[in-house]
Amino acid sequence: MEERINKLFKGDKIIWGVIVLLTIFSLLAVYSSTGTLAYKKMGGNTTYYLIRHGVILAIGIFIIFITHLVPYRYYFRLSYLFLFLSILLLALTLVLGTSLNQAARWLTLPGLGFTIQPSDFAKLALIMYLARLLSLKQGKIRNMNEALTPLILPIVLVCALILPSNLSTALIVFATSMIVLFIGRIPFKFLLVFGGIGLLVLVLFIGGAILLDREGRIGTWKNRIENFVQGDSGENYQVEQAKIAVATGGFFGKKPGKSTQRNFLPYPYSDFIFAIIIEEYGLILGAIPLVLAYLILLYRGGYMVQRANRTFPAFLAIGLTLLIVFQAFINMAVAVSLFPVTGQTLPFVSMGGSSLLFTSVAFGIMLSVSRGIEKDLANDKQQVN
Amino acid sequence: MSLKKDIIWRVGLIYITFFIAGLAILGRVFYLQVVEGEKWSVKEQNLNLKDFIIQPNRGNIYDSENRVLATSVPFYEIRMDLRSNALTSDVFNKGIDELSLQLSRLFGDKTPGQYKNELVTARRKGERYHLLKRRVTYTQLKKLKSFPIFQLGRYKGGFIYAQDNRRILPHKGLTARTIGYTTKNNSGNIVGIEGAYDYWLKGVIGVRLMQKLSGNVWMPVNDKNEVEPRDGQDIITTLDINIQDVAHQALLKQLLIHNAHHGTVVLMEVQTGEVRAIVNLEKDKKGNYREIYNYAIGESTEPGSTFKLPSLMVALEDGFIELGDSIDTGNGEVRFYDKTIRDSHKGGYGVITVKEVFENSSNVGVSKLIDKYYKGRETDFINRLYSMNLNQKLGLEIRGEGVPEIKYPGDPLWSGISLPMMSHGYEIRMTPMQILSFYNAVANNGKMIKPKFVKEIRSHGKLIKKFPTVVINPSIVSSRTINDAKIILEGVIENGTARNLKNDLYKIAGKTGTAQIANKNKGYGGYHNVQYQASFVGYFPADRPRYSCIVVVNAPSNSVYYGNLVAGPVFKEIADKVYATNLDLQKNQLLANNEKHTPPFSKNGSWEDLQIILRQMDMDSEVSGTVEDWVITASTDSTINIRNLLIQEKLVPNVVEMGLKDAVFLLENAGMKVIVRGWGKVRSQSIPPGSVISSGMRIVLEMSFG
Repeated sequence: MEERINKLFKGDKIIWGVIVLLTIFSLLAVYSSTGTLAYKKMGGNTTYYLIRHGVILAIGIFIIFITHLVPYRYYFRLSYLFLFLSILLLALTLVLGTSLNQAARWLTLPGLGFTIQPSDFAKLALIMYLARLLSLKQGKIRNMNEALTPLILPIVLVCALILPSNLSTALIVFATSMIVLFIGRIPFKFLLVFGGIGLLVLVLFIGGAILLDREGRIGTWKNRIENFVQGDSGENYQVEQAKIAVATGGFFGKKPGKSTQRNFLPYPYSDFIFAIIIEEYGLILGAIPLVLAYLILLYRGGYMVQRANRTFPAFLAIGLTLLIVFQAFINMAVAVSLFPVTGQTLPFVSMGGSSLLFTSVAFGIMLSVSRGIEKDLANDKQQVN
Repeated sequence: MSLKKDIIWRVGLIYITFFIAGLAILGRVFYLQVVEGEKWSVKEQNLNLKDFIIQPNRGNIYDSENRVLATSVPFYEIRMDLRSNALTSDVFNKGIDELSLQLSRLFGDKTPGQYKNELVTARRKGERYHLLKRRVTYTQLKKLKSFPIFQLGRYKGGFIYAQDNRRILPHKGLTARTIGYTTKNNSGNIVGIEGAYDYWLKGVIGVRLMQKLSGNVWMPVNDKNEVEPRDGQDIITTLDINIQDVAHQALLKQLLIHNAHHGTVVLMEVQTGEVRAIVNLEKDKKGNYREIYNYAIGESTEPGSTFKLPSLMVALEDGFIELGDSIDTGNGEVRFYDKTIRDSHKGGYGVITVKEVFENSSNVGVSKLIDKYYKGRETDFINRLYSMNLNQKLGLEIRGEGVPEIKYPGDPLWSGISLPMMSHGYEIRMTPMQILSFYNAVANNGKMIKPKFVKEIRSHGKLIKKFPTVVINPSIVSSRTINDAKIILEGVIENGTARNLKNDLYKIAGKTGTAQIANKNKGYGGYHNVQYQASFVGYFPADRPRYSCIVVVNAPSNSVYYGNLVAGPVFKEIADKVYATNLDLQKNQLLANNEKHTPPFSKNGSWEDLQIILRQMDMDSEVSGTVEDWVITASTDSTINIRNLLIQEKLVPNVVEMGLKDAVFLLENAGMKVIVRGWGKVRSQSIPPGSVISSGMRIVLEMSFG
């Protein structure tokens, strides 16, 4: 039995374990928190969202399964093409994108009726590209023209294309890229300058936005940031509701399905799912396992870096892990109101097809890398012998 | 390997950063739960939970025959939020013309232009709670919900409505004041039976704990209500709306004739004290008579001549006088100190008996009699009045009973002329209800009963409480005195001031009263300040009293103001109606007339039904030949002849002379379609009897009376 599982599910077993844990949390929390949505949209058919989400999770795990069987060297080769494609899609979305929540983030796949967020794809492609380039340029990492420009340009381009429709994702992509560059041994002072310029652009962008009128996304950002900065006095509705959810959950929660705040929180099944999990499962059974799960994921990413004897898999593994974990931490920080409301999903837990499927791809590549690293080690050993 | 080490310390640094961030998140959770936990859970309760009040249905008020006197009906108040965020100019401008048109058509109170103008102006002013219409019925509400703009609902269409239960009196003005009302928040002002029995009628307010869901939807927290609402109980009054109607119309007629200020009528059952009818009419500012104030219960006035009965009963009871004793009333004037008491009959009655004094309502006679026997021992007279409970309130459940005033010797207002004045009903104040109760006691052989307005409390038809008859005084005087009182009361109708009420069918006993009373505010004095109060109080049938009744008409300003002419006819009309509708009162009469009768006409039809009726009416009938289900009847002078009516399958029956019920039964059972024209019995049928029936054949029946 164990042998068969080992044969079928390759790569890091601990990462597989984290995936299983997240899947269980995801199913329970999404089922519990889609009640209102079911009443609003499906005439009270609460199993609709359970089944739909279950199917998406199954597809996700299938994707993980497929992608983890692909040797990581293929990702090395495909990374340029992926980046090119994703930039194309981002540009296309900006022009054509279906307007959802006043932000052109979505692209409807023709014929399928399925919407994806090209930014989800672009994140992955960018990390793969960075991993490849960093590994290739390790020798001349301090050379401006050789290494830095080809690294920086795609980051700037991707972030700039995401920025108009989704500020927080652009920021996360930018920050994750900076961390990856840091790990990839780009000189610190250069990162400081680049990061500073990025910050300046951001301030100018937000400043300009605030000067313009409040309509649309700009109004939303402005309100969110103002609400957070003003603290208790001007605390807005969702933050208050989230705090109630977290506070009343207690150490052991209100028991599964007993959340009351799911009825008040907007998007309890995505943006605020962490608050709902704490409300139902408490600090001990909800918050600690989830935080731990993502920290373990990061640890396993680090472990892969340590094990690897090639740079590309190491950078790819840690880059993808950071992408997932950074977003997860932002989502959790928002849910406990340590951070202004952003609209980031909790990777592999929140409901939502696009995010979940691309997270699956990331998991799959991570597992493929972990599989590849062990294979490389075995091969190297053989060669030495 | 320095490259790998260089990378690994960087990863380690990042990992530690994330580890700290993770601790921060968990620390934050801990902080919210432990330090701020209290604050947020209180907030949760406040935000999400609310007690909802469930109004119970108020009980109905019924008359003694279970006809509804008062009930609650839902009405709606329609308002509009013209600045609802979702009500866009686009929607408003597109729908406003059609909406105005429909509103105008539905309510018919304003033109479409006026409605449009009203709404456009209100929208410009930004009114968020614009009152469109009050007292909208449920049917109208349903239509409103389908109108343009409104059909979009609360947010997109700004359509707001609130239910408002209103009390309806199906019989409109009839006994409205006695039925009464309560104010919405029970702020003191409670009137009539609604007020007095509010405790039973109102029911118990229910409470339901509800939890708020997003989208402003409220959901009950528990399966059951925290407090179950209980509907109010029904009040079964003693009133009879038919008699009430007669009394109302009779009084109204007299008030109109005499252009009176107000009048009141009370009809009461002698033995039980059950009030069958109570009318209070007052002229309002527009000159219409309406139930405005409960004069019967609330207004104490000088009763005048009707008080001569208790006065004489005191002297009779004390044994000072007998009915046959004589008294000289002289030329109709007698002087006590500076006050001259006069009889209305010019020239006086001379020497007459005590009985005649009462029958002719001689002021001189009564005051001379009482003065003669009680001067110097006034307390005996007053004590005897008190012992007949005349100075006590009846203790009615309905609020606002007037206090009877019979002063006692030694009171600051007591004077030398008090005794003779009181003897014929002045310097005394009593309500019509109190006078009636006294007369009722006489009719009831001395047993004084508390008037009763409510006999039962029921809940969904189930008896909850029955109100017994309350005896105020089992015997106000000796039965000898009661008998004397009855004799002189009958004498008033037979020989006295109320001869106009005399009739052959039944006997009335009673007393007229014509009081000159002080205007409420100005006292006695100038011409305009004097009001006349004509009254008649009595009971019927005199030999076996069943009902007592008082009629008071106040301030008749036309020249005729005698009690017999103003109040008497009202009494008579009510008594006639009651007599006519109470078969048991007429028993003797019926038996007397029962000697000969001719058999009534009867329709052709079902033999079984006819037999039941014949048996009930104790009628003779003669059956010729064998009779099956259907018969033909023919009445003769002495009997009813019955013959069989042949009904053959598939042939049209003869239904002429039948009632519609039987005709339709026969024809439709045979598969025909019946078309009826007119009323009465079947005169002719369009298809002759004996024709062959084909299914769905139409037959026209011409109906008529006679």
